[in-house]
Amino acid sequence: MKLDTLVRFQNMDRRWIFLGMGIAILIPMLFPMTLPFKVDERVQSLYDAVEEIPAGSTVFISADFDPASRPELEPFFRANLHHLLRKDVKFVAATLWPSSPPLVMPIFEELTAEYGKEYGKDWCFLGFKDGKELAIKAIGENIPETFPQDIKGNKIGDLAVTRGYKQAKDFAMIINISAGFPGTREYVLQIQGQYDLSIASATTAVSGPDYIPFYKAGQLNGLSAGMPGSAQYELLVFPDGPPEGVRLLATQSVNVLNVGHAFIIILIVLGNIAFFVTRQAEEVE
Amino acid sequence: MRSTIPLVLTFVIGLFMVGEYFIPHWRYHQFTQVFLEWGLILAAAAFLLGLFNLVQVNLPKVVNKEEDWGYKLVMLAALVFTLVVGFMGGTDRLSNGQAYKWLFDFVFVPLNATMFALLAFYIASAAFRAFRARNLEATVLLVAAIIVMVARVPLGEDLPLVGEKLPQFMNWIMDVPNIAARRAIFIGAALGAVSTGLRVILGIERSHLGSD
Repeated sequence: MKLDTLVRFQNMDRRWIFLGMGIAILIPMLFPMTLPFKVDERVQSLYDAVEEIPAGSTVFISADFDPASRPELEPFFRANLHHLLRKDVKFVAATLWPSSPPLVMPIFEELTAEYGKEYGKDWCFLGFKDGKELAIKAIGENIPETFPQDIKGNKIGDLAVTRGYKQAKDFAMIINISAGFPGTREYVLQIQGQYDLSIASATTAVSGPDYIPFYKAGQLNGLSAGMPGSAQYELLVFPDGPPEGVRLLATQSVNVLNVGHAFIIILIVLGNIAFFVTRQAEEVE
Repeated sequence: MRSTIPLVLTFVIGLFMVGEYFIPHWRYHQFTQVFLEWGLILAAAAFLLGLFNLVQVNLPKVVNKEEDWGYKLVMLAALVFTLVVGFMGGTDRLSNGQAYKWLFDFVFVPLNATMFALLAFYIASAAFRAFRARNLEATVLLVAAIIVMVARVPLGEDLPLVGEKLPQFMNWIMDVPNIAARRAIFIGAALGAVSTGLRVILGIERSHLGSD
């Protein structure tokens, strides 16, 4: 191969890379295939922690994600709700992200209806609260003062599911679906240590490595990172495959990641081969 | 006087909030809760301030037809329209069939998701150009990146010969060098935050009052 071809390859127009990436994403969508995968220790730990929650208990869900992170986190969010609802665990949910309520409310309504759960008795959604770390601190201190009303305008005191749950520490677990700031890091820093809370986190792939130190230190009792984490959680929740009408979104999408990652790795390897060959040729000259 | 009162307030309230961690008395707690509520009210008020600021900055540019005034007009129109539709929907605005929900599902969601999805293409291009084994450090980074990238997806586990070991290598990279570096960063940042907090409480750092 001519040297200038290799040099041109190294400096190729990035639109060729975009085209290649587009094809790499499209192929597994058009021709789905499922490769088996193992469950990470952190995801297993999260599943086990939810599994240990006794039926009838109540958890606090902080759904802090937006449409941008939806593909990574919605599969976990759905699988986790299935897991909680089929165990008869009640939940009180809220969000610190302004674009989250229209995203999560329909999912809450759809899945609770599927399991025959009643709003106000088995679950409720308190909506969005601004204030970031301050709101987290307030959730740790006093939830009725922080959210006097739920998203439907009901007084929080009128909802059976919130009775007896004044602070974050009163809940069996805090489940944080976190796409960034404010999210898991802020929950850990602001209230986990002070109240010795049991917190599980599902986060984006890019934030996952940031939160591993919290998991290793015991500040998180489980961690699911990105789409692979969501797919692993789906596998644990539905080991025999999904029930009728349920789609395992992450399990289906993880193949797109497979081919996308393979494409980037091939590019990097070819780029380095071209780089070494041209460098050696230049040194000889 | 203009700076003394805010400085005294910062000192007293800052010290009071720090004290909460050391004085677990219910009455003390009651006071800190009041401060927290004030903080939340101020945060909500900042939303309104942001709204006014957005209009204040952009409206004159539209009126005077300054550069890119068309985009600013679209932004202001979208702002007013979304606000009106949101108020009209009331507490039912998130239900299917509501205009606000339609706007969210068919305008905001695709736009927001598209912006984020573009990252896949830019990352592929950046990775191709940046990950070159030019020296020892770059080679270590390159090898670590490839191991993590391959092992993070099921494809890696199915590779012949190395498939079994790859997840173990990845976990070691994530659990040992990654955690060591991140803990160092966290501790450094935490010490920095403590020192900045002390500087603000003691009035040494005054940038929040509008001075250098």
